[in-house]
Amino acid sequence: MSAALDKGLVRWLAAAPCADAVAADWLEAQRAQARARVVDQGIPDSKAENWRYTSLTRLLAQGFVHVAEALTAVQRDDLEDLLIPGLESYRVLMVNGRFMPGLSDLHDLPDGVRIAGLAAVLKSDPDALRERLNGSVGDEQPLFAALNTAGLDDGLVILLERGARLERPIELIHLSVGMDEPRVAQPRHIIALGDCAQANLIERYLSLGDSLYCTNAVVEITLGRDAVFTHQRIQSESARAFHLSGLYLSLGAASRYQGTNVGLGASWARTDLYVRFKGEHAECDLQGLYLAGDGQLMDFHLDVDHQLPQCTSRENFSGILYGKGRAVFDGLVRVARDAQQTDAAMTNRNLLLCEGAEVDTKPQLQIHADDVKCSHGTTVGQIDPEQLFYLRSRGISAARARRLLCLGFAGEILDTLVPEALREQVAEQVGRRLEQAPLD
Amino acid sequence: MLSVKGLRAKVGEKEILKGLDLEVGRGEVHAIMGPNGSGKSTLAHVLAGREDYRVTAGTVTFEGRDLLALTPEERAHLGLFLAFQYPVELPGVNNTYFLKAALNAIRSARGQPELDAVAFLRLMRERLKVLYLDDSLLKRPVNFGFSGGEKKRNEIFQMALLEPKLAILDETDSGLDIDVLRIVADGVNALRGLERSVILVTHYQRLLDYIEPDFVHVLAHGRIIRSGGKELALELEEKGYGWLGAEEAA
Ligand SMILES: Nc1ncnc2c1ncn2[C@@H]1O[C@H](COP(=O)(O)OP(=O)(O)O)[C@@H](O)[C@H]1O
Ligand SMILES: [Mg+2]
Repeated sequence: MSAALDKGLVRWLAAAPCADAVAADWLEAQRAQARARVVDQGIPDSKAENWRYTSLTRLLAQGFVHVAEALTAVQRDDLEDLLIPGLESYRVLMVNGRFMPGLSDLHDLPDGVRIAGLAAVLKSDPDALRERLNGSVGDEQPLFAALNTAGLDDGLVILLERGARLERPIELIHLSVGMDEPRVAQPRHIIALGDCAQANLIERYLSLGDSLYCTNAVVEITLGRDAVFTHQRIQSESARAFHLSGLYLSLGAASRYQGTNVGLGASWARTDLYVRFKGEHAECDLQGLYLAGDGQLMDFHLDVDHQLPQCTSRENFSGILYGKGRAVFDGLVRVARDAQQTDAAMTNRNLLLCEGAEVDTKPQLQIHADDVKCSHGTTVGQIDPEQLFYLRSRGISAARARRLLCLGFAGEILDTLVPEALREQVAEQVGRRLEQAPLD
Repeated sequence: MLSVKGLRAKVGEKEILKGLDLEVGRGEVHAIMGPNGSGKSTLAHVLAGREDYRVTAGTVTFEGRDLLALTPEERAHLGLFLAFQYPVELPGVNNTYFLKAALNAIRSARGQPELDAVAFLRLMRERLKVLYLDDSLLKRPVNFGFSGGEKKRNEIFQMALLEPKLAILDETDSGLDIDVLRIVADGVNALRGLERSVILVTHYQRLLDYIEPDFVHVLAHGRIIRSGGKELALELEEKGYGWLGAEEAA
């Protein structure tokens, strides 16, 4: 089975997890198993279904090594410019994949809510995580989840007991700072909401400076019965960065997950979303917006598996591509024979502003039940000349008019962001990106 | 202010305007009438600068400038405005944001300072009131999900806000009930009071009950085949276009 391991993968795997991550036996066993899995799988080639449109060559050629030490040089003053004005949040700061308690603000957490660094919890209370770690990922770990497990040493743990609620969003800032040698940070976040619990998590991927690094994050989310989770992820990595993230969702009965993924930064970005329904009447709403310009790749993979009846899912992704930007949207919704009354709708819309831009879009429904409501649609188009003429006839310049239309196109997804302060900040980022785009 | 001479234009391979002449002076209101498909909207779009309508001959001067050499936005900056027969929907583009962008683009092209949010809002309120419009229109995306009447009103509102030197209204009166028709007429008459010029493309005498034109033209087969005073409109109402040899081609 095992293909020859690329040098890049060997380097990635070779560096040991951070020494202060105390390893319980079960964790050591998980790491070893994950290592074996990486070696077993080898590097997927272009025939592998999941990697048909995206090559790993450029990623592995960088020779990324797992970050093994905490970077303490970052000070509070360095963060000023990164904060979103008017956003009141419980703020967690991670630098190069390490939780920084001194830079985080977690005061006044209500009862029943635990937010802590993964390394700290592994040290003080490892059993709290024993069932949860890889609980959503499972044993059949995809390559980058397995790499994450093999190097696992830190991340964030968010546990809400039954009925617990957070009034303010949790804001998780992933800050990356380039180092001499290309490094990969591999945070693992474990999020579990008990029955009826409610929370809003904002994940922001940012960098200081224009540095080369890689993020390989894995987020595991388990929602109890009637739990409600809003999850907003804004990827604004540096223009030279590589970004991988895998989201693994387990949704309890009648729980609601509302997620918005915004992909703006990085040179090469791949996001995998896995959704598993564990109870009936659960709802999963996945929204996405991506921008890709020269030298950028944005790749989104969705795997939504309706095994149980009466669940609802929405997959709604929009992309704006310009220059020589490339995007991949590979969305799979499966509906098992017993998953009657599934309601699923997937759409992927793309706006291509330049001839050199490109998108591979592949929405797929595999339906084995007969009483379901499922649909999918995809569009790849240019700016409508009539809309453009209408705006120009009102005195608005061609370039400004194109930007307005792009922002309008993105508006449907941007409108799902809450609170207002976040929406405004992201809309502004999108606007700024479009300002730099060659739109003619 | 506007002088059109021997204008010929093609849409695709088809010649639609076939040597059209028209002179519009300051403060004048011209009505252009004519059967369906005669080229009225084509004329309006050519004047506004739509790029896929190809001008093959003739000249157009506006305020002393060669209009045909200008981009659509430059024409708007000079004071030209087209109220579309079919206003375009812009999903996701907020109407207020759009109006402000348009007004400020025109102001800065004319060397006037841009209006800040407060001043802009004040101006908008004032214009809304004059036209008896509801401000809920402003919070919605431009024309998106608007009824036919709302779209037309939004066109007139833009006209009132941008105060063009020459407004071309392309069948803004079609399909409107009498109340909306009055709003359109109020908008036009207000401009007229400012010594602005108006070209009213219309099918019906009805609008002309509220706006008295200085001139009436009949456009057929891509040319102006007859011009006259307001009595020409009445004549057309009575007799149709047949007596002018301007029936629609079968
Ligand atoms: N986009 C187009 N492509 C091809 N033909 C068109 C287009 N727009 C208009 N036409 C044709 O041009 C002619 C004039 O149309 P138009 O200017 O809309 O007439 P009117 O406004 O007087 O009803 C018609 O024969 C119409 O079919
Ligand atoms: Mg017409």
